[in-house]
Amino acid sequence: MGKRIMKKVISSGLVLALAVTMLTGCRFGFASDPDDPNEETKEVPIDTSVDTFEYDTSLSGTSITLLNSKAEIQVALEKMGAEYEKKSGVHVEVMPVTDGDSPYTKVVSLYNSGTPPTASILDTTDVIALAEEKAADLTEEPWVAEAEGYLTEVNGKIYSFPLCIEGRGIIYNKAVIEKALGESFDPASVTTQSEFVELLDRLVDAGIEKPVSMAKEDWSLGAHQLQYIYETYEGTSEGAQEIIEDIKAGNVDLSSYDRLSQFLDTFDILKKYNVAKGDPLGADYDEMAIDLADGKTAFWFNGNWAWPNISEAGASEEDAYGFLPYFLNDDKSDFANQKIQASPSKQIMLDGQIATEKEQAAAKEFLNWIVFSEIGQQMMVKTCNIIPPFKNNPYEPSDPLSADIYTKVHEDKAFNASAIVPNDHWAVLGASMQKYLAGRSDREELTGDIQKYWDEQE
Amino acid sequence: MKSKNSGKDFCMFALPGMFCFFAVVIIPFVYGVYLTLTDWNGVSKVKNFIGLKNFSGVMRDGQFWTSLLLTFKYVIFVVLIVNVLAFAIAYLLTRGIKGQNFFRAGFFTPNLIGGIVLGYIWQFVFSRVFVSIGESTGWKLFEVSWLSDPTNAFIALVVVSVWQLSGYMILIYVAGFMGLSEDVMEAASIDGASGFVKLKSIIMPLMMSSITICLFLTLSRAFMVYDVNLSLTAGAPYGTTEMAAMHVYEKAFTSRQFGVGQAEAFILFIIVAVISGLQVYFTKKQEVEA
Amino acid sequence: MKQTTIGGTKRKVTNALAMIGLIIIFIAYMFPFIMVVINSLKQKRDIIKSPFSWLFTIKGLSFDNFVNAFTQMDFLNAFKNSLIVTVSATVLVTLLAAMLAYYIVRHNNGVSKLTFALMVASMIIPFQAIMIPLVSIYGGTLNVLNHRITLIFMHTGFSMAMSVFMFHGFIKGNVPMALEEAAYIDGCTHSQTFFKIVLPLLKPIISTMVILNSLAFWNDFLLPSLVLTDKKLLTLPLSTYSFYGTYSADYGTIMAGLLLCVIPILILYVVLQKQIIGGVVAGAVK
Repeated sequence: MGKRIMKKVISSGLVLALAVTMLTGCRFGFASDPDDPNEETKEVPIDTSVDTFEYDTSLSGTSITLLNSKAEIQVALEKMGAEYEKKSGVHVEVMPVTDGDSPYTKVVSLYNSGTPPTASILDTTDVIALAEEKAADLTEEPWVAEAEGYLTEVNGKIYSFPLCIEGRGIIYNKAVIEKALGESFDPASVTTQSEFVELLDRLVDAGIEKPVSMAKEDWSLGAHQLQYIYETYEGTSEGAQEIIEDIKAGNVDLSSYDRLSQFLDTFDILKKYNVAKGDPLGADYDEMAIDLADGKTAFWFNGNWAWPNISEAGASEEDAYGFLPYFLNDDKSDFANQKIQASPSKQIMLDGQIATEKEQAAAKEFLNWIVFSEIGQQMMVKTCNIIPPFKNNPYEPSDPLSADIYTKVHEDKAFNASAIVPNDHWAVLGASMQKYLAGRSDREELTGDIQKYWDEQE
Repeated sequence: MKSKNSGKDFCMFALPGMFCFFAVVIIPFVYGVYLTLTDWNGVSKVKNFIGLKNFSGVMRDGQFWTSLLLTFKYVIFVVLIVNVLAFAIAYLLTRGIKGQNFFRAGFFTPNLIGGIVLGYIWQFVFSRVFVSIGESTGWKLFEVSWLSDPTNAFIALVVVSVWQLSGYMILIYVAGFMGLSEDVMEAASIDGASGFVKLKSIIMPLMMSSITICLFLTLSRAFMVYDVNLSLTAGAPYGTTEMAAMHVYEKAFTSRQFGVGQAEAFILFIIVAVISGLQVYFTKKQEVEA
Repeated sequence: MKQTTIGGTKRKVTNALAMIGLIIIFIAYMFPFIMVVINSLKQKRDIIKSPFSWLFTIKGLSFDNFVNAFTQMDFLNAFKNSLIVTVSATVLVTLLAAMLAYYIVRHNNGVSKLTFALMVASMIIPFQAIMIPLVSIYGGTLNVLNHRITLIFMHTGFSMAMSVFMFHGFIKGNVPMALEEAAYIDGCTHSQTFFKIVLPLLKPIISTMVILNSLAFWNDFLLPSLVLTDKKLLTLPLSTYSFYGTYSADYGTIMAGLLLCVIPILILYVVLQKQIIGGVVAGAVK
C-alpha cells in the first residue's frame, strides 16, 4: 500500500521533472517534423519607422479595456495594444470572451457588475441591441468617412466601428483540381450551377470520389448558408431587411420564394458530393481543412477565416486557394452566380455610460490610430490578418483566401449584404438545417420551420 | 452546549457560516425571483413590475417542456445506472481485493477534471477516436459518430454522466460498506443466507443512509446538468439533446428573454425541490424502519 | 472451522471473478485519460487523422504542446492564483461549515432547523438562476468584483450548504455527547471543547471535505469567469480559454494544458487518499 503510493508519487514527480526539463528548453529526443506548421511562428515585420499620427499627450497614462470576441486574433490584438501603448502611453487591456460564454452574455454580465469594457468587439446584432442604451455615439469620428458602405446605423447614428470584412463562398484548391483533371483550371470559367455540377462530375470521374466538404456546425448551416436566401434577394443589406420584413409580415410565401428553392438546389448539390455523406453530422471541422489541403476534397464551403486551419493543415501562402460563388441557378446574368458575399462582420462598440471621458477619448483615439496611423494600418492587415473595410488602408492581405476576397471586393466581384436577424436565428434554424442535411426532414418541413420561426418574432 | 450564553455560541459558531451562505446564495436567489416578476432584460436601467407575465411566457415555450421531458428521461437513466454501478463497485472494493486502494483512487479520477473540459475530451473520444476505431475495424457500432444521431447522442450523454458521477458515489458507498460491521456479514454467511437474500434483507437496510445521500446527490446533479451538456453535444444534433438547464441559459442569453429564462430556472428549481424532497422523505423512512 | 475454509475457497473464486470484472470496468474508465495522455504528445494533424494510434506509429512526437500550453497559460502565475484561491476557500469553508454543522446538531431550535432546511434546498438551485443577480449585487451595487477575496468568499458561500450537510450527518452519527459533557465537567469552554475535543474527531470527514471542496474550487470555471477579469488574477481553468478557438479547438494544447492543471490535484489526491477513505472508515466503525 505504502509502496504503491510511493510509486505513484515518484511517477508524478517524474512528470513534473519532465515539465521542468521542457521549461529549460530541452527537447526530447524525437526529431520534430520540419513541415510541422506549428513550428513556423514567423513574425511578419512591422515597419514602425514612419509614424505621422498625432497623439493626444494628455491621454497618456489612461488605461482602457477591449473585450475581444474574435478568439483567433487575441494574440495579435495584444501585440497591437502593446505597440499603441508604446506610442501613446495609453494602456490597452485585451480581455477575451471565455469559452462557453457568448459575447453578449459577457458584456451584459460585465455591465451588471459595473465594470464594462471601454470597447467591445461584438456581432452586429449585439451592437443593435445595446447601442442606444449603452454605446457612445461615434457619428462624428474621422474614420467614418473612410468606411463608406460598411457602416451600421441605428436610428441615423453610428455606434460601432466595423473591424473587418469577411467573405464566404465555396473555397477551391486549385492545385488539386488541376492535378485531377490534368489541365489548368480557371475559376472564372465556372459561372452557373450546371457548370459547377459538371466540374464536380468530372472530378468524380477523375478519382476524387466526394469532392466537397461542408461543416455540420449550426452557425455554418444556419447563418452562413441559410442567410443566402435573404442576402441574395437583391444583394444589399436594405434588400435583405426588406425580404425579412416581408416574410415576417406574411407577404411572401416561402414555398414559392425562388431564392429559397434555388438555395436548396445548391445545398442539395453540396450534400450529394459531401465527403462525409455517410455521416454528415459527424463531420469534423479540422478534418475538412486537412482533406482540402491533402486533396481528398477540392471544395469546402467556408469563409476567409478558415485560412489558419488550412494553413495548419499544411497549405502555404503561395498555394492557390480562392472562392467560387454560391451558385443559385443557370442564369449567367444573375449577380449571385458571379459575385461572392463579403461584408463587415465584427463591430467595435464603445461604452458611453460608465467609462470616463478620458477613457472614451483614449478608446476613440485607438480606433483612429488603427485607421490612420501607418503602424495601425500595417498591424491590422499583417498582424491580425484581417481585411479592413477602410478605403485608405493601402496594405493587401497576404493569405490567399483574404487576398481573393480583397481582390473581389476591389473588382466589384463581391456583394455587400448583411442580413440582420434575431440573435437565435443561427441556433434555431441551424438545427432545422442540420436535420435537413442529415436527411431527416424534407424541404417542406424545413420551409415550415423557417416560416414558423419568423411568425414567432414580434 | 445547552447553557446560558447561547447567544455568544450562535455568533461564534453559526453566524460566520450562515453569513457566507445567505450573502452568496439566498439573497441573490430571492433577488432573482423578484426579477422574474419584472420586464428587466439584463441590460436596461428600468425594471417594470409585470406580475406573472414571464410565467405565461414559459407556458408558451414548448421547447422548454420538451427539454424538461428529456431531462426526466435522462435523470431516470443516470440515477439508476450510477447508483447500481457505484453500489456494485463499492461492494467489490470492500471485500479485501488486491489493489483495492488503487482502484478506489482510479475510479475517482473523473472528478479531478472540471465538467466543461471533460465534455470536450469525450466529444473528442466519440467523434474522433471511436470513429477511427470504426474505420479500422469495421465495427458497425462505431461506424458513424454517436453524436450525430439523436438516440446515440442521448446515450453518449448518459454514459459520460455515469462515468463522471459514479466515482463520487463509489466513495460514499465504500465508506458505508466499511461502516457495516464484519460481524453482521459473517453472521449472515454462517446463517447460510444466499447472496440475494443477504443483499436485500441485511445489506440494503443498513446501507440506507448512504443510499439516501447518493440518491439525493445524483438526482439534483442530474437535473441540473449543464457543463457536460454544453461541451459534449451543445444540444446537437438539431437541438434534440438540449436539457432543461441548458435551455434556461439559452433562453436568457441567446434568445434574450431574460425574464422568461429566469422564470424557467425558478420552475426547474421547484420541480427538483419537490422530487428530491419526496425522495429524501421516503428513503429516510426506510432508514428508520431498518 | 470447516465452514470458514469452504467459505474461503468460494471467496477466492468470486474474488478472482470480481477482479476481472473490475479490471474491465477500470480500463473503460481510464480510456479517455489514456487518449488525453497519448494525444497531448502528438501534433494536431495526427490527433485528428489518427487519434488512436500509439506513440510509436507516428512521426512527430514532442513536448511542444506542453511548452505552448505552459507559456500561453502563464502557468506559474495562474498556478499561484489557483493555489491561493483554492487553499483559502477550502480552509475557510471547512472550518466554518464544521462549526455551523456542530451548532445545528447541538441546538435543535428553530433557527437551526430553518437554516438546515434552506441549505438542503439550496443545493438544488441551478447556478444559472442566481448568476446575473449575483454579479449585479456584487458588481453593480457593492463593486467588489475582480478581487481574489471576493472569489474566495463566494466559493465559501456556494459550498457551505453541501459541506454543512456532510458534517451534519457525520457529527450526528459519530460524535458522542458524552465526551463533550466530560469536557465541560473538566471546565472547558465551548470553543475549547470544539477545537480540542470535537474537531479532532472530525478528522475523517474533514479530509473528505478538503479534497472534495478543493477539487471543486480548483476546477471551477463559470464562477471565476464571472468574478475575475483581470489577467493577473486568472486561475488555471480560465487561463486555458485561448485554446478553444471560435472555429476549431487546438486539441494538442488543450490536452497538454489539461494535464498541467490536473497534475497538482492528482498529487494531492494521491497523498490524501489513505486519509480520505481510511479515515472515513475509522470514523464510521467507532
